[in-house]
Amino acid sequence: MECRVLSIQSHVVRGYVGNKSATFPLQVLGFEVDSINSVQFSNHTGYPHWKGQVLTAEELNVLYEGIKLNKVNRYDYILTGYSRDKSFLEVVVDIIQELKKDNPSLVYVCDPVMGDHGAMYVPENLLPVYKNIVVPLADILTPNQFEAELLTGRKMNKEEDALEVMDLLHKMGPQTVVLTSTDLPSKQGDQFLVAFGSQKIVKPDGTNTSQKICIDIPKVDAVFVGTGDLFAAMLLAWTHHHPKDLKTACEKTVSVMHHVIKRTITYATEMAGPGKRPSPAQLELRMVQSKADIEDPAIVVEAKVLQKSLH
Amino acid sequence: MECRVLSIQSHVVRGYVGNKSASFPLQVLGFEVDSINSVQFSNHTGYSHWKGQVLTADELHVLYEGIKLNNVHHYDYVLTGYTRDTSFLEMVVDIVQELKRANPSLVYVCDPVLGDHGSMYVPQNLYPVYKNKVVPVADIITPNQFEAELLTGKNISTEKDAVEVMDLLHAMGPDTVVITSSDLPPRLGDRFLVCLGSQRHVRPDGSRTTERVRMEVPKVDAVFVGTGDLFAAMLLAWTHHYPNDLKTACEKTFSVMHHVIQRTISYAHELAGPGRRPSPPQLELRMVQSKADIEDPAIVTKATVIS
Repeated sequence: MECRVLSIQSHVVRGYVGNKSATFPLQVLGFEVDSINSVQFSNHTGYPHWKGQVLTAEELNVLYEGIKLNKVNRYDYILTGYSRDKSFLEVVVDIIQELKKDNPSLVYVCDPVMGDHGAMYVPENLLPVYKNIVVPLADILTPNQFEAELLTGRKMNKEEDALEVMDLLHKMGPQTVVLTSTDLPSKQGDQFLVAFGSQKIVKPDGTNTSQKICIDIPKVDAVFVGTGDLFAAMLLAWTHHHPKDLKTACEKTVSVMHHVIKRTITYATEMAGPGKRPSPAQLELRMVQSKADIEDPAIVVEAKVLQKSLH
Repeated sequence: MECRVLSIQSHVVRGYVGNKSASFPLQVLGFEVDSINSVQFSNHTGYSHWKGQVLTADELHVLYEGIKLNNVHHYDYVLTGYTRDTSFLEMVVDIVQELKRANPSLVYVCDPVLGDHGSMYVPQNLYPVYKNKVVPVADIITPNQFEAELLTGKNISTEKDAVEVMDLLHAMGPDTVVITSSDLPPRLGDRFLVCLGSQRHVRPDGSRTTERVRMEVPKVDAVFVGTGDLFAAMLLAWTHHYPNDLKTACEKTFSVMHHVIQRTISYAHELAGPGRRPSPPQLELRMVQSKADIEDPAIVTKATVIS
């Protein structure tokens, strides 16, 4: 498999977020990963302390120039995640547009990180950039409920709303949308959260259809960091292997997440000791220890196909 | 296995040198790798063009401070390689010394990158820093013949010279020394090159012993970049698993190198086409494709124990 990914995300010295979270799993699955580190921090910002340096939009451009001058600016995938800087995001867009001109079948996997649980945790001025420039360029999008509502201006209270929101997102650009988590009630009870997915497919006769799925995912009583980055990377990998089968791609992706998270929470609880809540340092994903699950995830969830509809 | 490595090396967006060369193989072998990127370049400097940014000694210190403030500055290994800046190197030494105070059994694996084939390719003012400050705190060093001669002030013309040079390096600090390549005449013919290793042990009764090994590895007609970084990382891994058996550690390390290089040269030739010399991008190590060999290298080179 000759497949080259350009991943533009954070680097942390210690732990697994951004490029640290995405790179190893993709490499283990045989992808060539070129990585531009948008920042270099000691660790993620959930620890009591963090220190480091950020890459400016200009410096990003310089790095890309180096790749271009050597005529090796050819990628099959681009992957981006958490960003705090509008001008940085705008240079990312320029780079993607250029790379798409060079390779029209390039797939841009975008996690439009803006916030969660009703509040934005990036500067507000990023919303119009995501909405008007980034999402239209994306091929695969992994918003959570809050981000999907923000991008479409539409709230989700029931399953129909989620399906409509995904269709609105398709209209903005991406053929594949996965709502990575929602507050919608799960049929399996309140120990579960519901995720949705929708993929537009063009049939051989030229007509459009879409596959829509939902998955009930067991909730875990802990705050993990880097899981969204791992999710987007693994969705890239499994949609690559199952390009017309979102059900399978999502089952594999969610299953990998499950194995990594289970291993992590077990280890963290052990490290913390009885009756104590694990610290951010203890909750770092057990990435390296999960190699076998990453390579070949045992399927632990089943996605339900909701509807096939014609547009 | 709970083993944490702090690797302070270059990062390249594309390709496999520095941290890009060391991290994946170590992670695949189950090591936790914390990495401080000393530079971020588009690609290594053997390409036609390269662009990027360097980390200053101060910025390195700031990153280390972050780790320290969170009380997570506990490492089993430190790994360093190519550096061009004396103040950066001196900051690395300060960090290693502090980490050794926090964990006295920390092992510092140091590739003292100074030059090759008779000339230095880093600024000359790095030489005294390596000689007087870095090598004395190192536990494992992987110099080539030129670097070993430079550090000890002694030339290597015979195997006996090499053994003496390794003993001189032991006296400077490190208990494990591997001379990764030399011009010594190979017994298997001129398609091979000679490598040597030496490891000092203290026996249970307190007496000292030295295990010395010699290997002949096939030469490859190409210039690879990042192989030294991969070598040091894999020597870290295999001496970790074979701490008192340098013979086996070296056989595994050199065997991994062989598999990765063979795979790389085959692919590079295929890409370049018949009769053409592969380019630097085509010669990038086939790291990801070599995962199985990294995990469990088939031994292709035997080391002989020498006295």
